[in-house]
Amino acid sequence: MDIAVVVGLILAIGIFVFLIIGVPVSVSVGISSMIAMMYILSFDDALLSSSQRMFAGMNSFSLLAIPFFILAGVIMNNGGIATRLINCAKILSGRMPGSLAHTNTIANMLFGSISGSAVAAAAAVGTTMSPMQKKEGYHSDFSAAVNISSAPTGMLIPPSNIMIVYSLASGGTSIAALFLGGYLPGLLWGLSCMFIAWIISKKRNYKSQLSISWKDKFYIILDAVPCLLLIVIVIGGIIGGIFTATEGSAIAVIYSLILSFIYKTIKIRDLPGILIEATKTTSIVVFLIGVSTIMAWVMSFTNIPGLISDVLMSISDSPIVILLIMNLILLLVGAFMDPTPAVLIFTPIFLPIAMELGIDPIHFGVMLVLNVSVGTITPPVGPVLFIGVRVAKLKIENVIKPIMPFFIAIIGVLLLVTFVPAISLWLPDVFGLLTGE
Amino acid sequence: MEFAKKQLDNALSTICIGLFGFLVILVTWQVITRFVLNNPSVFSEELAKYCFVWIVLIGSAIVFGEKGHMAVEMVKEQFPKKIRIITEVIIEMINAVFALFVLLIGGIAAVEIAWNQANATLQIPVGYLYAVMPISGLCIMFYCVYNIYQLISNRALTNT
Amino acid sequence: QSSSDSTDSSETKVLKVAFNQPESHPQFKAMVDFGEKIKERTDGAYEVEVSPNELLGAQRETIELVQSGTIAMSIVGGSLMENFNEDFVVFNLPYVFDSKEHQQSVINNEEIVHDLYHSVEEDGMIVLGAFHGGVRNVYNGEKPVEKPDDMAGMKIRVMESDTNVQMMEKMGGVGTPMGQGEVYTAIQSGVLDGGENNELVYNDLKHVEVAPYYSNTQHLMLPDYLIINSELFNGMSEEHQQIFREELANAIELEYELFAEDVDKAKQEAEEAGAQFNDVDMEAFQQAVEPLIEEKLTSDQAKEIYEKLRDME
Ligand code: NA
Ligand code: NA
Repeated sequence: MDIAVVVGLILAIGIFVFLIIGVPVSVSVGISSMIAMMYILSFDDALLSSSQRMFAGMNSFSLLAIPFFILAGVIMNNGGIATRLINCAKILSGRMPGSLAHTNTIANMLFGSISGSAVAAAAAVGTTMSPMQKKEGYHSDFSAAVNISSAPTGMLIPPSNIMIVYSLASGGTSIAALFLGGYLPGLLWGLSCMFIAWIISKKRNYKSQLSISWKDKFYIILDAVPCLLLIVIVIGGIIGGIFTATEGSAIAVIYSLILSFIYKTIKIRDLPGILIEATKTTSIVVFLIGVSTIMAWVMSFTNIPGLISDVLMSISDSPIVILLIMNLILLLVGAFMDPTPAVLIFTPIFLPIAMELGIDPIHFGVMLVLNVSVGTITPPVGPVLFIGVRVAKLKIENVIKPIMPFFIAIIGVLLLVTFVPAISLWLPDVFGLLTGE
Repeated sequence: MEFAKKQLDNALSTICIGLFGFLVILVTWQVITRFVLNNPSVFSEELAKYCFVWIVLIGSAIVFGEKGHMAVEMVKEQFPKKIRIITEVIIEMINAVFALFVLLIGGIAAVEIAWNQANATLQIPVGYLYAVMPISGLCIMFYCVYNIYQLISNRALTNT
Repeated sequence: QSSSDSTDSSETKVLKVAFNQPESHPQFKAMVDFGEKIKERTDGAYEVEVSPNELLGAQRETIELVQSGTIAMSIVGGSLMENFNEDFVVFNLPYVFDSKEHQQSVINNEEIVHDLYHSVEEDGMIVLGAFHGGVRNVYNGEKPVEKPDDMAGMKIRVMESDTNVQMMEKMGGVGTPMGQGEVYTAIQSGVLDGGENNELVYNDLKHVEVAPYYSNTQHLMLPDYLIINSELFNGMSEEHQQIFREELANAIELEYELFAEDVDKAKQEAEEAGAQFNDVDMEAFQQAVEPLIEEKLTSDQAKEIYEKLRDME
């Protein structure tokens, strides 16, 4: 049998069996890759190469942005920033039908633009919004559906840790360009959720009883300015080439820390706890990146991506069909797998094929991230779904039906992003980032 | 056993907190040298990367101790209690095998091969920097043994 | 001529070569050509497979893979070899070579390089030969640079090493180390005034759009080394070793030609995009960096190599 087929089978079967019995994702990937290594190299070389690849995979300056964005997120969660963003979102959603649902969506998008985590958004925003919506007569399954379906926008709207992971897996695609490329798809996702919420609210006659005076509006905005300024400084600086993503993330940490000290929500003695919390979250993600590097190396050593590409190309030579197949596979994978490993595993397999079809790596990256973001709200492994249900004090069965219309709208956005490259490429192009490599 | 685990937790946490705090200062300092002092530092970027790898591998060991790594739990949750305990023991053993082979044995080989390789900017042999792999491997193996001991002695299941 | 017993194709040994650039790079093409000749002349005993685009890892990591014998060969930048033997610094200093031709006559000259290239044998590898890696020149968005004073206050992106920062300082500018990926936007936003690189990179990354003045300072000509696992090479028959050396010499010659062709093409494209090329007062720059060369040549071996190569002008 061809060496690539054997190695491919070891990886596929190994990872599946280990995962199913409950071995951590990182160890499942790592140990299967190690076994595959042993098939192509001697025992000693296999162990040495595995550990070298793992170290190399983690030893990257761009990856440093991840612990810093995570740390900034932890600081902000403890720092009363979510409340300020929700107040801000209230003003923006105004008095249209279902205004609290729109507030929830906008708050998730705003929260997403300062944090890279969809789970954090769903938890922080949902916890505050769900009692408010209940009081105004919204069905709790509906408000949970809104919160869950709009939370993943934060993975597309920068800063986005998953985009950094993709940048690394794709061999250094510009993080600034990816960040810019995510804006419109993230916005479209949010708007499509608001559109569905508007239709349902109109039918159910969810009215807004809220009215904010101009004076209050002024103070709410003034209060939120420091938070919003963070977006301008950090993302503006990264996109404008003033500093790297890693430097921008460090600025985000210092900025949010100073802000929290001023708001007096964090004390010096809270810092060790915050640092250790951020360490653990970082370790889980980056350890996974390390072991996935072993796997990516084994695959390229045996030319598995080439093999899969040949199979895909033999099914059809139409880019439309192949992109549809990729989307289908990625949605399916996203149902079972967390975004980070999914991106790490499928970038080396699909990106070469996509590039052969003439698709820009930035466009492909945005499409990939969108797919795995959808995965965070689909069972059986859907962290955003779980947290959203938990903060709304519901069961998963309760929200599946109310989520369906939102889900269909999001799939519509996915298809748009897949087949209209301009949605992901227009902004990077305007800022001259497509040619800058 | 309990005592040893607590001590190790504390030691590793302290290392991570110290390194992470240092990392924040280091990268901030790099930004400042580049903008304010107009005097770019090559040294800090290299040091920051290695600091980061140390944090991740030590932090990962802590997370193994808490059974906190991402996993698919729904299948084993369906198992009857006895089989579930056996499954959990097997999982810990697989984790330990990975730590032994890749991090400890492979890591030591990597340390040896890089022992004489100087790092251009830091003037530290790359081998020293690889040393975190066997260290992390040993800690993870300890945590696996501890978790197995807990499973067998308590027959209780911790929910992660 | 035909070998006696290695004709059986099942005994073919596949030698993997790690390479960090795309298939279009002259070094890749030369290595593919090298592979074809090797297969032919060893009657299929050896086959060479080049993996482009960092597929097998970044350069520093592929050195370790060669050391351990996981892969056979890798093409690596000169500065990385300094980590194993500091004497490699001699070819990485500014203005050690007067021209491409001068470099070509030195870096594969057995009499000059034999000891240096075998000095890493105890680390498990041998430098089998050195490729041309282009001629680096300064470019910026303000004005043509002709002498060191013209660069006063200009922030020029350099590779991430202290030697390069010092070199740029001596040349009159402010050396700013940065990853290549961010250079374009950094020049565009004014964080940088320019960069320094060969014509191929300058044109490929479209830096011409933000920094149209390309001045032929020719300050660096960094060789790229083909390293091979020493156990593997020493285990070959003498006949095969000879074939490897001969064919590599041919491949390197071919690479110099291909590189020159690509540079002509790149210059033409860049000119069409608005680039202005100009010559500089080389002597002024040479004098400016001389103290740096003296400072960096510390060992006797490095000094000896330097003397020998200066005698060859
Ligand atoms: Na975000
Ligand atoms: Na899912």
